[in-house]
Amino acid sequence: MNILVCLKQVPDSTVRVKVAPDAKSIVTDGITWAISPYDEYAIELALEHKDADPGTTVSALTVGPARARDALRQALAMGCDDAAIVVGEAAGLGLARALAAAVRERTPDLVLCGRQASDDDQGFVGMALAEALGWPHVASVTAFKAADGGGIEIWKEIEGGHEVWKASGPVLLTVQKSAKEPRYPSLPGIMKAKKKEIPERALSDLGVDQAGPVAEVVAMQPPPARGNGVILKDGDTGALAAELARRLRDEAKVL
Amino acid sequence: MISPTGSFWTGGAILLFLVILGFGAFLWRAWTLVRYLRLGRVRELDRTDRLPRRLRDELVVYLGQRKLLKRPYWIRGAAHALIFWGFLVITYGTADVLLDGIAGLRLPGTETGVYVWTVDLFAVAVLASIVLAAIRRAFLRPPRMHVALDGYVILGLIATLMVTLLLFENAGVSAGALRTGQAVPPIAALLPLRFSGASAGVVFASAWWLHVITVLAFAAYLPQSKHLHIVTTLPNVFFRSTRPRGALRLVENIEEQESFGAATLRDFSWKQLLDGYTCTECGRCSDSCPALATGKPLDPQRIVLDIRDQLLREGGMLLASAEAAGTAPAQLHERKPEELWACTTCAACVEACPVTIEHIDKIVDMRRNLTMMESAAPPEAQRALTNIERAGNPWGEPREARGEWAAGLEVPTLAEKPDAEYLYFVGCAASYDRRNQRVARALAAILKSAGLSFAILGREETCNGDPARRIGNEYLWQQQAQANIEAFGRYGVRKVIASCPHCFNTIANEYPQVGGRYEVVHALQLVERLIADGKVHLSDAAARETIAYHDPCYLGRHNGIYDPPRRVLDALSGVRRVEIEPHHRERGFCCGAGGGRMWMEEKVGQRVNHRRIDQLRAAQADASKVASGCPFCLIMLEEGVGAKGLQEQVKPVDVLELVAARLETPTTAARETS
Repeated sequence: MNILVCLKQVPDSTVRVKVAPDAKSIVTDGITWAISPYDEYAIELALEHKDADPGTTVSALTVGPARARDALRQALAMGCDDAAIVVGEAAGLGLARALAAAVRERTPDLVLCGRQASDDDQGFVGMALAEALGWPHVASVTAFKAADGGGIEIWKEIEGGHEVWKASGPVLLTVQKSAKEPRYPSLPGIMKAKKKEIPERALSDLGVDQAGPVAEVVAMQPPPARGNGVILKDGDTGALAAELARRLRDEAKVL
Repeated sequence: MISPTGSFWTGGAILLFLVILGFGAFLWRAWTLVRYLRLGRVRELDRTDRLPRRLRDELVVYLGQRKLLKRPYWIRGAAHALIFWGFLVITYGTADVLLDGIAGLRLPGTETGVYVWTVDLFAVAVLASIVLAAIRRAFLRPPRMHVALDGYVILGLIATLMVTLLLFENAGVSAGALRTGQAVPPIAALLPLRFSGASAGVVFASAWWLHVITVLAFAAYLPQSKHLHIVTTLPNVFFRSTRPRGALRLVENIEEQESFGAATLRDFSWKQLLDGYTCTECGRCSDSCPALATGKPLDPQRIVLDIRDQLLREGGMLLASAEAAGTAPAQLHERKPEELWACTTCAACVEACPVTIEHIDKIVDMRRNLTMMESAAPPEAQRALTNIERAGNPWGEPREARGEWAAGLEVPTLAEKPDAEYLYFVGCAASYDRRNQRVARALAAILKSAGLSFAILGREETCNGDPARRIGNEYLWQQQAQANIEAFGRYGVRKVIASCPHCFNTIANEYPQVGGRYEVVHALQLVERLIADGKVHLSDAAARETIAYHDPCYLGRHNGIYDPPRRVLDALSGVRRVEIEPHHRERGFCCGAGGGRMWMEEKVGQRVNHRRIDQLRAAQADASKVASGCPFCLIMLEEGVGAKGLQEQVKPVDVLELVAARLETPTTAARETS
């Protein structure tokens, strides 16, 4: 089976995000970038399939700025066979079309995406890519395997349980957090990944239509700073209780 | 000593034949064992440097039996020392007997009164020790001791040697075997045995031959037995690592290697394999292991013996074919890697081992294989590694927030004050953990009150790499070390203060491996000096309190810093310092957080930190505080006290906080921490 994982490079979850002076974007200078967490789970699912069936190939693909090459390097270190980057800025439908053009050149049996990227949490591109490819898609997938008698058996998470789906032909899955944490790359994996070629295309060379509805961020605001806690100490228990009730009612306004 | 006289052809030839047989068997087996050692492919770097220190170790550790004569083992240690010293004295006599018997040659001094007295005294002392050892094995079996037939065989052989020695000396005197000028064996002559005439000659000859044959049988048996340690301890002590104990072995040219850590016997070094031959199966390492004591699957003695047993089992096969890999060390497959992950690298085993076996290196080498080759570190440990990689700290706190603990304290960064004399390397715990931020603030207050010129790196600081290296990710450690060394280099840092013993140990003992050489002090060493020099003024009006001191492993056992923290406590008015008997100083008991365990779950057995609190309460129930000098100890002790509901009885603190609370001119920071 040939599996293709589409991934997005996002600010690492350890980064304390700061809003840029334009109040519409974040400061990206000097921050650590990483593969979006759900995309990492997608890679892990694909690699588990490869562990079980060595005939599997796993490819990684991204459309994004040149720095996103590092995310592909990480995917290769984890164990992906090859990776490719389309360099350029795209979003929404335009991004899905660009990915679709790149996917069509590769004819995978299965395309995996994270269910949503951790930076914008839109959860849009995976489904839009399925639409652009004209493929069926299943969302919130936690496991899949080759089904007896052909096709792919897919476990999809639902409230309080799971459903088992089956796909007979090429399918796109958006992946949910699954039981197994994404693997930590082995050192030989990291070394090999450093030496691998990552072919690059320019977004403009793909000739895809970038027109379409585009969402625009109007404003960004950091969450309010957390105030310090207060410990009530002075006075007897009754007075403390009364003071606590007063503060909860008048200041916190929760009573 | 005395020997039956006779021409070479009547006795000497037979003796020569037996000697060739006995020593031949020894050498044959010994040569095989040496060839097995050479299966270990890992290069050793530091096994022949610093000759004077190695010779000193031979005198103190091998000849002086220093590590055997330690509490709580000193009685059995003394018995061992007597047997050992007796062995040395009597071996000289044995060599004399053999040479005399074969060729009529005598070794110098063997006929003097001093020597015969020494031999006889030791013969009796050895016999007495053997009786004690046998009783101990049979009736007072120590829980961790590996008691097998081998031990009894050895004791029996030694006893036979001593009995036949005294017997042939006694009968030899009666039989007139003494030469002119030869001193009479004093104790043997006192034995209530009186042989005369022909019977004396027969008893003398029989006992003498039995003695000699036992010696040769011993020689042949030795390399099949754990008793080989009488031979292998000599090289094992000589070649012990001269690295600081807290420093792990560097993986050189890591980017050019193809495999990492130990997955097979060949992935160890010859010295690590020699450790196996040297193990006496005494069980002291296991006795002192905090993981084993709290019900974890780890047993440090088994780590050493499993490697040895496998070497003896598979050595021949591996020698025969360079292709053969053999099976993986037992910890990697038979028993689960959980054994390896249970280790806190506290070095209690290394400290306890009388023959200088290095347990931690083996465990870390196998962890290196699991982590770097197999990506099989426990998920929580992997998370910590990823966090160090991406955020520069194992908790995954924002890199940008590293210097925020110092907000409002006017602690400059090196960027702001590049000419500061000292760099205070804060470490991840004191930078991010709220409880330990108070310790960092306390130290800052002390340093400012002493007028010391210091600065921090702020967001330019990154984890020193200790957890990564001990979890087995040498590559990540090297990256962290390089990043810090580069940052230090930007400001020409020469002197470093660390309040965390792990930072201290790594920067002082491990950074030199990758080119970072600094003058590093632990905060408590520095504060001790500042107090002694009168630079820190402490108030004396303070309520009396009893404070127990807990030795952090990476301050104490790994770096020998036992006294400075105690002296700082003693300098505080009102403080009565007490010890957590018997687990203090060299026998201090780990808090459970070392070796990367801080970031791993602990689900099997009792938690190590809970055991530590039990020990504290048993030894010093009236201590109102337990002071330490390590952020991880502090976290673990607080958790232990909390879990046991003892918050009202005993409060874990860092010694630095106690000092800051007594500063004569308290700054804002000190008031905040008090």
